[in-house]
Amino acid sequence: MAGLELLSDQGYRVDGRRAGELRKIQARMGVFAQADGSAYIEQGNTKALAVVYGPHEIRGSRARALPDRALVNCQYSSATFSTGERKRRPHGDRKSCEMGLQLRQTFEAAVLTQLHPRSQIDIYVQVLQADGGTYAACVNAATLAVLDAGIPMRDFVCACSAGFVDGTALADLSHVEEAAGGPQLALALLPSSGQIALLEMDARLHEDHLEQVLEAAAHAARDVHTLLDRVVRQHVQEASILLGD
Amino acid sequence: MLQKREKVLLLRTFQGRTLRIVREHYLRPSVPCNSPLCPQPAVCRNDGKLLSSDVTHYMIPDWKVVQDYLEILEFPELKGIIFMQTACQAVQHQRGRRQYNKLRNLLKDARHDCVLFANEFQQSCYLPRERGESMEKWQSRSIYNAATWYYHHCQDRMPIVMVTEDDEAIQQYGSETEGVFVISFKSYLDNFWPDLKAAHELCESILQSRRERENESQESHGKEYPEHLPLEVLEAGIKSGRYIQGTLSVNKHRAQIEAFVRLQGASSKDSGLVSDILIHGMKARNRSIHGDVVVVELLPKNEWKGRTTALGENDGEFPSEPMPTGRVVGILQKNWRDYVVTFPSKEEVQSQGKNARKILVIPWDYRIPKIRISTQQAEALQDFRVVVRIDSWESTSMYPSGHFVRVLGRIGDLEGEIATILVENSISVVPFSEAQMCEMPVNTTENPWKVSSEEERERKDLRKTHLVFSIDPRGCEDVDDAFSVRALDNGNLELGVHIADVTHFVASHSYIDIEARTRATTYYLADRRYDMLPSILSADVCSLLGGVDRYAVSIMWELDKTSYEIKEVWYGRTIIRSAYKLFYEAAQELLDGNVDIVDDIPEFGDLDEKSRQAKLEELLWAIRKLTDIARHVRAKRYQCGALELEGVEVRIQLDEKKNIHDLIPKQPLEVHETVAECMILANHWVAKKIWESFPHQALLRRHPPPHQEFFSELRECAKAKGFFIDTRSNKALADSLDNANDPNDPIVNWLLRSMATQAMSNALYFSTGSCAEEEFHHYGLALDKYTHFTSPIRRYSDIIVHRLLMAAISKDKKMEIKEDLFSNKDLEELCRHINNRNRAAQHSQKQSTELFQCMYFKDKDPETEERCISDGVIYSIRTNGVLVFIPRFGIKGAAYLKNKDGLVISCSPDGHSEWKPGSLQRFQNKITSTTTGGESVTFHLFDHVTVRISVQASRCHSDTIRLEIISNKPYMMPDTELFQQSSLLLKSDLVKEVTRSVEEAQLAQEVKVNVIEKDYQKYCQTKGRSLYTLLEEIRDLALLDVSNSYGI
Repeated sequence: MAGLELLSDQGYRVDGRRAGELRKIQARMGVFAQADGSAYIEQGNTKALAVVYGPHEIRGSRARALPDRALVNCQYSSATFSTGERKRRPHGDRKSCEMGLQLRQTFEAAVLTQLHPRSQIDIYVQVLQADGGTYAACVNAATLAVLDAGIPMRDFVCACSAGFVDGTALADLSHVEEAAGGPQLALALLPSSGQIALLEMDARLHEDHLEQVLEAAAHAARDVHTLLDRVVRQHVQEASILLGD
Repeated sequence: MLQKREKVLLLRTFQGRTLRIVREHYLRPSVPCNSPLCPQPAVCRNDGKLLSSDVTHYMIPDWKVVQDYLEILEFPELKGIIFMQTACQAVQHQRGRRQYNKLRNLLKDARHDCVLFANEFQQSCYLPRERGESMEKWQSRSIYNAATWYYHHCQDRMPIVMVTEDDEAIQQYGSETEGVFVISFKSYLDNFWPDLKAAHELCESILQSRRERENESQESHGKEYPEHLPLEVLEAGIKSGRYIQGTLSVNKHRAQIEAFVRLQGASSKDSGLVSDILIHGMKARNRSIHGDVVVVELLPKNEWKGRTTALGENDGEFPSEPMPTGRVVGILQKNWRDYVVTFPSKEEVQSQGKNARKILVIPWDYRIPKIRISTQQAEALQDFRVVVRIDSWESTSMYPSGHFVRVLGRIGDLEGEIATILVENSISVVPFSEAQMCEMPVNTTENPWKVSSEEERERKDLRKTHLVFSIDPRGCEDVDDAFSVRALDNGNLELGVHIADVTHFVASHSYIDIEARTRATTYYLADRRYDMLPSILSADVCSLLGGVDRYAVSIMWELDKTSYEIKEVWYGRTIIRSAYKLFYEAAQELLDGNVDIVDDIPEFGDLDEKSRQAKLEELLWAIRKLTDIARHVRAKRYQCGALELEGVEVRIQLDEKKNIHDLIPKQPLEVHETVAECMILANHWVAKKIWESFPHQALLRRHPPPHQEFFSELRECAKAKGFFIDTRSNKALADSLDNANDPNDPIVNWLLRSMATQAMSNALYFSTGSCAEEEFHHYGLALDKYTHFTSPIRRYSDIIVHRLLMAAISKDKKMEIKEDLFSNKDLEELCRHINNRNRAAQHSQKQSTELFQCMYFKDKDPETEERCISDGVIYSIRTNGVLVFIPRFGIKGAAYLKNKDGLVISCSPDGHSEWKPGSLQRFQNKITSTTTGGESVTFHLFDHVTVRISVQASRCHSDTIRLEIISNKPYMMPDTELFQQSSLLLKSDLVKEVTRSVEEAQLAQEVKVNVIEKDYQKYCQTKGRSLYTLLEEIRDLALLDVSNSYGI
C-alpha cells in the first residue's frame, strides 16, 4: 500500500477538507452547576471538557501566593479511553505536565490576574477523545469556561494548530495528519489585538515557510474566535432569558 | 461554504488486535466537475483542466479497470475519461506508488483528455459503506452512483459509459438509468474503438498475462527467491545501519553474475563504506532489476568476493581484491520501464518445450533478465523488435513475467533499430500535434511574421543603434545567439550578447511548453535530430537570422575602455536586427586581416565599393574588440584557477552542430573561443542575477570537483609515457595536461585528455534551494555560479532560466511577477528530469553512432577489405586483453589476447600474430603473452598495433564491433625510421579528413533534413558513394563521444 496522501493534487485532505478549512466545532458553556465555570467543546472528533474554580483563596501552602496577582493553576488530563489504544495513566505523566504548563502560560497572558492579588484560579481540562489538536481544543474549552466563570480577561484566547505538507500549510490537523510526522505548529492568539499568547513547534521547518504556516494558523484561530463568540452570545442570551423571567 | 459532517467507521487489525478507528469525512455541496457542459461553472469552481467538448460520450472506468488497464486508458485516442476518486484510491491502496504516480501524471498532463472527479467529497455522490458489504461492491456502487449524478449534473446532455469488469454490476446497473450505460471493457473497446488496433492487442496481452498469473499462483511450486522484507523492517534497518540503501546497477558484461549497488546519501557515511557493494549472482540479487532502489544486507567478511577485471565472457579467473558483498533484502522503488525484446528463434522456442505458450524473450539491454511472456503471436513476431512491460516478479518464478505492448520494427532494419535505441533510452518523440502547432506564430510569404507595436513599446529597440552580428557554423539554421560591440559617448565600451527570446513564443504551461519540458533537449542521433521545439520556432521566428527583425533577450555590459572592467550590466528584452550572419571561418579570416573572404559573405554582396569599405571597417572593429574583450575575460578566469581543458565548452557547443575543429587540440580557431567565452560570461552573469533575485528557486548548473581516486588510472598511464600529471587542482591538471604532449604521437595527448574528462563527474542542473552555496561551484570553468542561458532553442533548462531572468527583472522594477515560477521542490524534480534526459540524449547519440559503425562494417569482408584493417592505440590493459582506440574511425573496443579456447597471441618476428597455447601475465603498464614454446610478446600502453575490424552480429542485442590484433606493429609501417613520418602523416591526414568531412557532413545534413526517409532506404541497401559521406559523419561524432560524456 502506498503511503497516505495528505493533500491530493486536487487540493483535498484525507477527510475531504481543503487546506485552510477547520473541522466542525461545537461547544457548550455551563455544563456543570457545581463549578464556577465550565465548558465542553468538540473540534471534529477531539472532545474536551474544562472547569474553572476561582478566584479563591490560596489552597495549600500560603507561600505560593503572589503579592501582586492571582496564581493560575492548570491541570491537564486525558481519559484512558481517549486514544485508539487504551492508556494506562490518565494524568501525571510527562506529556500531561507539559501540557498543564503550556495552558498556564497561555492563560497567564490572557487573564487579568492583577485584579485578584493573593488568590488562585484553577483550570482543569480533561480530554475525552483525542483526534488531533488536543492543545487547541483544551485552550478553546478553557477560554469558554473562564468566560463562564466571569473572570475578567483581556480577550478570548483562541488556539489552532497548523501543519505543512508539500509546500502548503494545513490548518487544524487531524490525528491522521499529525501522525504522518510533518511539522506541527500550535498557536494561541488573542484575536482582536492579534497578539500571540503561545506559539509552539518542535519539528524542523524551513524559515521561509514559517510565515506561511503561522498565517494559516492565525487565520484559523480567528475563525475559531468567530465561532466561540457566537457560542458565548447564544449562552448569554439563553441565560438572560432564564434570569429575566 | 456549507459543510456537513459524516463519519466513516473503519475496522482495522494491527498485530492481531482489532482496532476501531473513527475518521471524519466532510462532504460539500459542490466539487469541480471539470465538464464544459456544467450548468453552473462558477459554483463548481472549474478552474483546472476541462474535458474537451467534442466527445460523443464520457467514459467512467470502474476501479478494477483503472487498476488493470491503465496502460490502455493512457492512449491519447481515448477521450473524455472521468476518473472517480474511489477508483483512484483503489489504485493507490492496492497497486502501489508507481502505478498511482502514473495515474497522477496522466491526470496532470494537459495533453490527455481526462479529469478526476472527487465523488467521495460530494454530498449527493457519497454513499456510506453498508454493514456486510464487501469493499469491491461498495466501490462499484459508489462509482455507478457518481456516474448517474454526473449524467444529471450535465443536464442529461452527454451519455455516460461506465466500464467495468464486474459482471454482476453490468446486470444490476445495466438498464437502471437511461443515458448511463454499463458495459465491460472488452465490449467498450469493440464498440467504440474498433479501429484502435494497438489498444486491442494490448488489452489481449494484459488479459493473457493476468490469466497466467492466476494459474501460477494456484500452482505455487517451490520458491526460487527469498521473500522481500516488509517496508517497515527495511526502513528501521536502514535507520539503524543494519541495511544499506542504494541503486542497483548491473555489470553489462556479466549480467548474470555481477551487479553493484551504488550507495545513496547518508547510508554511505554511516557504514564507512567507500566503494560500491557487490551483489554476486541472481539469487543474491533477489528479483531486483537494473536501476531499482534496493536495500542490501552485507554478508560476513569471509563470504566477500572480488570483481573481475577480465574482458568479455571469459570466466572470471582473476578476481581482484575481495570487496564488500551483500544480498538484496528488499526493493524500495522499482524503476521498471518499457523494454525492447526479441523473441527467440523457432528452434529455441521448441527447446523451451513443456510450457509452449509461455515464452522467454530476451531484452536488448544485456542488464535486464529474460522476461516471460504469454502470447500466441510468438511465431509472427520472430523477426521483430518488440516492446514489453514487466508486470510482476513472484518469488516462485525464475524470471519476471510481462506482457507484450507493441512492435517496433524488423531486426536489422535501420528504422527499427533507431526506434529501439529511442525506447531503450525512454525517448518519446512523436510529431508535434495540431493543438501544439496551433499555438505557434505564422510566418509564410503571404502572411509574414511582424514585430507587434505593443512589443515595440515595451522592448528596447536596438535595430537602429547597435551593430548586431552572429557567428555560427556554416549553414546553421537555429541561430540562438548574436553579439554587438560599440563605443559609448563617455568613452566606455558596451558589449551585448543577444539570445533568441523563445519564452515570448512558448508560454508557461502551454501545450508546446509541456511538450518541450518532456523532451527537455533536442536529441541528436548520428543521422538525424529530434527537435525540442517545432521548426517554425527553432529555424525561423526565434532564429536570429540576418536582416530581419527578431525579439531577443539581451545582456549588455558597460566596460571600461582600457581595463575592460565591468562597470554596469543591463538585462532586458529587446528587438534586434542582425546585420551579418557570419560563419566561424569567415570571422577568423576577417580577424586575421584577410579581407578576401568578404566575397563569401552575402551581406556585402550588392553594395558599392565605398559603403562596402565603410561597413567592413565597422564590422572589423567590432570583431577585433570582441576578441580583445574575450581574451581579457578568459585570462582573468584562468587566473582564478580555471581548468583549461582546451575550451571544453567550445567542443560541446560545436559537436552538436557536428563541427569538430577541436579534435586537434592545438589548433582551434580563436573565434571559437571568443564566442564560447562570451557565452560563458553571459551564462555566469545571468546565474548571478537569478540567484540574487531568487536565492531558493533558481536553476543553476554545477560541476562538482572530481574524486582524486578516479585520476589514478590517468596518472599511471601518463607515467608509462614519462609524464607527470598533477591532479590536485583544476589549474594544475590543465597545466600538466598541456605539458604531456608527445611530439611523435598526438593521439597520446588526446587520449590522456579524454581519460581526464572521464574521471570527472558530470555537470548537473540543480535548484539553488536544495544545495549549500559552497556546492554551486563549477569546477571545469572555475566559476562560483553558472547556468545555461544561451541556447533556449535546444535546451529546456535555458527556457526556465529565461523565465527566471524575466521574473527577476520585473522584481527589480517592483512590478508584478507575471511568470509562474517553480517552487524549489518542483524545480528540483525538473532538474532531475532534465539531467536524466540529457544523459539519455548522450546515450542515444552514442548508441546510434555504434549502430552506424556496425552497419558500415557489416557489409565488408574483414579478410579482404582494406578498410577493415587499421592502426590502433592501446589505451588500457586488462587481464586477458587490451582496449584499443582506432583514430581512423574513432572506434574504441576490446581486443583479446587470449581466445575462447585458451590460446594466447604470439607474434612472429615480422609482427604477424597467431594463436598458440601459452599464458598471459599482466603488469601495471604492459601485458606479456608467453607461449609454451618460450616466445613472448609484450604490449605496452600507447603502443600502436594493427587491428582487424569485424562485426559480431547478434540477433537479440545490438551488433558490436570486434577487434583482433593481427600485428604488434603499427599498420603498414614496420620500419622504425618511417614511424616518425607515419605519425606526421597521420596527423595531417586527420586534419585533412576532418576538415573535409566537416564540409561534407554539413552538406549532407542539409540534404538530409529534407529527405531522411528516402535517403535511408538507399543508404542501407546500396554500397554507393553516398555511404562514404555518411560514415565520415559518424566518425566525427565518435571522436567526440568521449568529450561529450562529461557534458559541461
